[in-house]
Amino acid sequence: MSATGVIADDEPLLRAQLRSRLARLWPDLTVVQEMENGRDVEEVLQRHGPSVFFLDVHMPGVNGLEAARRIAGRAHVVFVTAYDEYAVEAFERGAVDYVLKPFTEERLALAIQRLRERLQAAPAHLEELVQTLAARLAPAPAAQHLRWIKASVGPNVRLIPVEEVIFFQSDDKYTRVVTCDGEALIRKPIRELLDELDPERFWQVHRATIVNVDRIASVRRGLKDQAEIALRDRPETLVVSRAFTHRFRQM
Amino acid sequence: MNILQLLEGLTLRRILWVTAICAVASGAASWIFVNTYFDLLLTALPVGYTSMLLFTAASNVRQASMPREAMQILAIVAGSILGTILAGLLKGRDITQMFHERLAGVTISMGLGIGFGCVVVATIMLREKYARDQARILRAESERHQLEKGMLEARLQLMQAQVEPHFLFNTLANVQHLVETDPQAAARMLDSLIRYLRAAVPQMREAHSTLGREVEMARAFLEIQQVRMGARLAFRIDVPEPLRARDFPPMMLISLVENAIKHGVDPCCECGTVVIRAEEQEGRLRVCVADTGEGVKPKEGGGLGLANIRERLKTLYGGAAALVLEENAPHGVTAAIEVPAAA
Repeated sequence: MSATGVIADDEPLLRAQLRSRLARLWPDLTVVQEMENGRDVEEVLQRHGPSVFFLDVHMPGVNGLEAARRIAGRAHVVFVTAYDEYAVEAFERGAVDYVLKPFTEERLALAIQRLRERLQAAPAHLEELVQTLAARLAPAPAAQHLRWIKASVGPNVRLIPVEEVIFFQSDDKYTRVVTCDGEALIRKPIRELLDELDPERFWQVHRATIVNVDRIASVRRGLKDQAEIALRDRPETLVVSRAFTHRFRQM
Repeated sequence: MNILQLLEGLTLRRILWVTAICAVASGAASWIFVNTYFDLLLTALPVGYTSMLLFTAASNVRQASMPREAMQILAIVAGSILGTILAGLLKGRDITQMFHERLAGVTISMGLGIGFGCVVVATIMLREKYARDQARILRAESERHQLEKGMLEARLQLMQAQVEPHFLFNTLANVQHLVETDPQAAARMLDSLIRYLRAAVPQMREAHSTLGREVEMARAFLEIQQVRMGARLAFRIDVPEPLRARDFPPMMLISLVENAIKHGVDPCCECGTVVIRAEEQEGRLRVCVADTGEGVKPKEGGGLGLANIRERLKTLYGGAAALVLEENAPHGVTAAIEVPAAA
């Protein structure tokens, strides 16, 4: 029985390999389209209405899982993936077939045999499986906090990971970004930074100062109701104004 | 500043101590003076309590004009004088009479108050100094532990397998295909893979490396990636021959190159270029990896790789080395490692 198939893999040699193996093991299958990623899956479905997709899991742009979600039961799907223990474990419990790269002829032949048996039936809906897989492969993005500070240093734009920042201090129109090996100026005001930084790690201690708690060496009571912060890797001390001292009580 | 804040530190414990000291001192004094114990205690307690109150307040007043210790001594002296007067009033005596007829007694109780007070203040100061020293020792200790931990972690990171199974199996799948279609290309790719693994597998890795060796490992990796990604990847290596013999920490350059592919070139579907460059400037060896890829997204982290490199640079060179990341125009990132150029 003849069938039509689509191969999606970002690596050209691996597309060629799968194509030649399929030609040998499943002569009735016509590969109607090759794709570098899953971006055009809708268009391919419209134009060719293929009966089966061979999807690489990791592809730039639209990956194999997203592509399977978009196919949404309109074609059979076989995942082709290099070693990935989480994926493999999920596949083994799922209703979908998968082939590990590099594959043996026997394994591919088995996948083809199963496919042929299934071709008559309606393709399985993979919604649930795809969700499980997506969660395993790309753990839910951590809270959307700022991870990089872009600061102009001379003609260049310096990229500073926020973990490296010891403190931020507003300075007239600018905000000073101080790290253990120097400092830079950015235009973003303290107020905006506060909204974007991870509040667990970055504490406001003064109207004009945000400190990276990981970089605090010690805190001691200072004049009036204030406190003073000594830092690791920096000689400066930072003043904690009265409104913020409560964060340091009883620690 | 209100009264409560001034009296911070006036604990029941402190009051009991002062009471006890006064009781003992009166007992001792009753051996010397003709006064009764009760009479002496009635003098000692006001002196003790007044001094205590003033001392507590003096410890809590924070201002810069006078050192705290001087304020405390002053409080004891003032407290003793006031206390003695207060004791006299309590006993129903007249103040003028006190300072004329009973001057000797008054001076003695003031003197004793001041003497005891100073001993107590000295004890407290010594205890505070001891606590401060202790804290300093603890801090120094913890900093040393931190450093040792850092060194150990740096060594561990180096020992951990760097070869991703995903990379390895995909590469082998490519070789598998090339063996059938282009055996010569397959041999070349295997060759690159072997060179890469020799450097990347921990058991085969050496603790010290040279820039030349690190560059060759990066080249092997890029050659493999180029076969895999086809026309999407181009690369260039510009490292002057004389710099290749220089010492350079292992596994850092490859980490930057992997980042350039993984976070830079691979995610964008167009083609990208990776350039490795090394130069010596003003006694510093600067090795950089530039890509024309996606660039960083403000809210996506760079993974552990960069933090590891920073940590290891700090352990190896103290503050003398740096990892600097900059944005490229029109897009992409340049990551540069700078170390002191020991010829």
